[in-house]
Amino acid sequence: MTAISDRQKLAYVNAQAADGRVNLEFETEEGMTLNMGPQHPATHGTLRIVAKLDGEQVIHCEPVMGYMHRGYEKLLEVRTYPQVNTLVNRIDWLGSFTNEVPFILASEKLMGVEAPPRAQWIRTILFELGRIANISLFLGDTALHMGGMTAAFYAFRDREFVLNQIEAVTGGRFHPNFDRIGGLKDDFPKGWIADTKAVMARLRDFCDEIEDLVVGNEIFQARTRGIGIIPGDIAQSYGLSGANLRASGVDWDLRRDVPVGLAWDQCDWTVWTHPDGDSFSRYWVRLQEVREATKIVDQLCDGLPSGPIMAKVPRIIKVPEGEAWVATENPLGEMGYYVVSKGDLGPFRVKIRTASFNNISVIPWVTRGVYVPDVISILASLYFILGDIDR
Amino acid sequence: MGLVESGKMPKPLTNLLNISRRYSIWIFQWGLACCAIEMGAALGSPRYDVMRLGVIPLPASPRQADLVCISGTVTDKMVPAIRRLYDQMPDPKYVISMGSCANCGGPYWDSYSVTKGVDQIIPVDVYVPGCPPRPEALLEGIVLLQERIRHEDMAERWKGDPIVVT
Amino acid sequence: MSDAPAPETDERRDRLVEVLRSELGDRVVDSLVKPGDDVWVRVATDAWQETGRVLRDALRCNFFDFLSAIDWLPSPFGKSEDSPLDQRPALSTDIVTGYAGGETRFQVFARVTSLPERVSITVKADVPLEDLAVDTWSAIYSGANWHEREIHEMYGIGFRGHPYLAHIYLPGDFEGHPLRKDFPLLARHVKPWPGIVDVEPMPDEGDDAEAEGDAAAEGAE
Ligand code: SF4
Repeated sequence: MTAISDRQKLAYVNAQAADGRVNLEFETEEGMTLNMGPQHPATHGTLRIVAKLDGEQVIHCEPVMGYMHRGYEKLLEVRTYPQVNTLVNRIDWLGSFTNEVPFILASEKLMGVEAPPRAQWIRTILFELGRIANISLFLGDTALHMGGMTAAFYAFRDREFVLNQIEAVTGGRFHPNFDRIGGLKDDFPKGWIADTKAVMARLRDFCDEIEDLVVGNEIFQARTRGIGIIPGDIAQSYGLSGANLRASGVDWDLRRDVPVGLAWDQCDWTVWTHPDGDSFSRYWVRLQEVREATKIVDQLCDGLPSGPIMAKVPRIIKVPEGEAWVATENPLGEMGYYVVSKGDLGPFRVKIRTASFNNISVIPWVTRGVYVPDVISILASLYFILGDIDR
Repeated sequence: MGLVESGKMPKPLTNLLNISRRYSIWIFQWGLACCAIEMGAALGSPRYDVMRLGVIPLPASPRQADLVCISGTVTDKMVPAIRRLYDQMPDPKYVISMGSCANCGGPYWDSYSVTKGVDQIIPVDVYVPGCPPRPEALLEGIVLLQERIRHEDMAERWKGDPIVVT
Repeated sequence: MSDAPAPETDERRDRLVEVLRSELGDRVVDSLVKPGDDVWVRVATDAWQETGRVLRDALRCNFFDFLSAIDWLPSPFGKSEDSPLDQRPALSTDIVTGYAGGETRFQVFARVTSLPERVSITVKADVPLEDLAVDTWSAIYSGANWHEREIHEMYGIGFRGHPYLAHIYLPGDFEGHPLRKDFPLLARHVKPWPGIVDVEPMPDEGDDAEAEGDAAAEGAE
């Protein structure tokens, strides 16, 4: 053996020191400690789960976050409004366009500007496309965690078509940064609407496929039915939102219940709920959500009003003093921005309420007493995105 | 492998080794943020199909990997884990830094919790810029790395400049 | 906004304020209702926990949105966007609070929703600098647990009775409270915002001779 170099020695010492810290943090007296992550396939990124086990059973399970904490709320204080728009794209990175919308709406509310109808419709269409791109990945990924590889490949395949459509309009596969205060950057390109409708039809086929392949699958059902039951009142008190809340039987969808000016009330769609509150129902509700989204996009494409896509706004955007809160029903659940403005070029303080942060705060409660493989099923079905938790 | 370490490899042997190494890269996916999704698309989706390049994206642990793709925002809290991962990999090992965040901090260049570039902790061979880079860009990064491996002189390993995909 | 349409009354939101007033008496310090839009209520610091209980039990605001805090001190660094060559504008240090008023630099605020009534409310409370703590909400809304940990980390505000007030995002040895306005973003001080860094003098601004000299020198090499 040759002697190890100084660089390697240093690295080794560093790694040992880091190890020591981690172990010290979670020293336990009884039971066994199982550490998943921070880089584990079942955690969609860098969530770390530390579970105290008694045999196969979880006594206590604590998520450790912050591996993706990027300091959004501080950074937004030193950005101007258009710059904020770029940055918030990256919170929930699977459905980026949906992150911009509530912030833009909150700023518009403070400025007293309203985007013209065509802009609102296009926003809604892109919002729903973002939802489809986001949740279709979930549909494949969850199956992957239950041991079914195929669905994940299908999801990646069909998701590409949606991304192509988004790219055709915005120029970015994700992170479009397409919204502007008072409207949109651009209109749809020629022929886009026909293409989109073809893609939507395809996506509906994908949903059927998933329904056959995953939902009807015995193994999948055995691993999700009756696992991780969250009753409606617990869900509310933890602030669970989106499909997680609806899967607990609470009929609440911000798109329908709190109108914010987008075009959802112009079309005909259904809010699906499920009475069970288990992992299976969360999956099922999301599947229906994709179906409904394709319907919404179809209808909106048919009835798209003509007109300008930008309202009159000053070249340099200054938002008057005030506080505003706007939340929308994002793919992951309720996402809202509490914007405090002092009349500057940039916001004074922005509180970002992200869905996943609340959604996973229920994990310690719901994993008490379950078996280790069920933790995976619960995590997968709660569905979170790390950027959305840590911000 | 004493020959390799002493740097006195006969040329034909080097060639043979390099050709074999070039087309049998096991790549460990260290997906951190948004870029991870594009990496997933490049490595896992049927449309881009990375395996045709002789790259296998599914090692069970870093101990079996030749190449790690750090994709996404590296935070200060994550740094020890990345360092440890790198130390676990057997030599010869390569690193691709994917996305502006991993290259230099990207949109979070002024954040209090983001490490401004993964090259502060581990040596990087290929930088793939973009926010996020398209899957094709990552594939090109891999191809360029393969080029480099082909012509590599083991003893000279860390002396070259990093590759930047443009 | 001043140019909002003529204020109609808003029964659902007025009722929220009324019930809060009748339950808490004069510990409701201030309130603001924007008809058809939103409602803000500020309560006394010692009534913070009580407020949560009233909201949950009497008003059936069962859905927990978020709990957060705000530092009203104007940032002593401005927006860190000025070029290093310019004179820094004098920055005010006056604390101007937002809707429903306030007396202290720090405020906590939370938002809860009543799903059956489809109405949300934002409640605020002052946090005095001398004793930077309020009572916890985590026993009332379970979701508040993590939000309070976040606030504790970001602002250094304590929550009395919280079960486990540990770091949530930052590594254990992080110093300071990043969301306080006087926490500097060091990267911005070391290297100003690149967007306005282009402050090199334009070519016709006088040092042509120097530039020519440089060019000549380069040519010579
Ligand atoms: S470079 Fe851009 S896309 Fe990639 S992780 Fe950073 S913010 Fe996300």
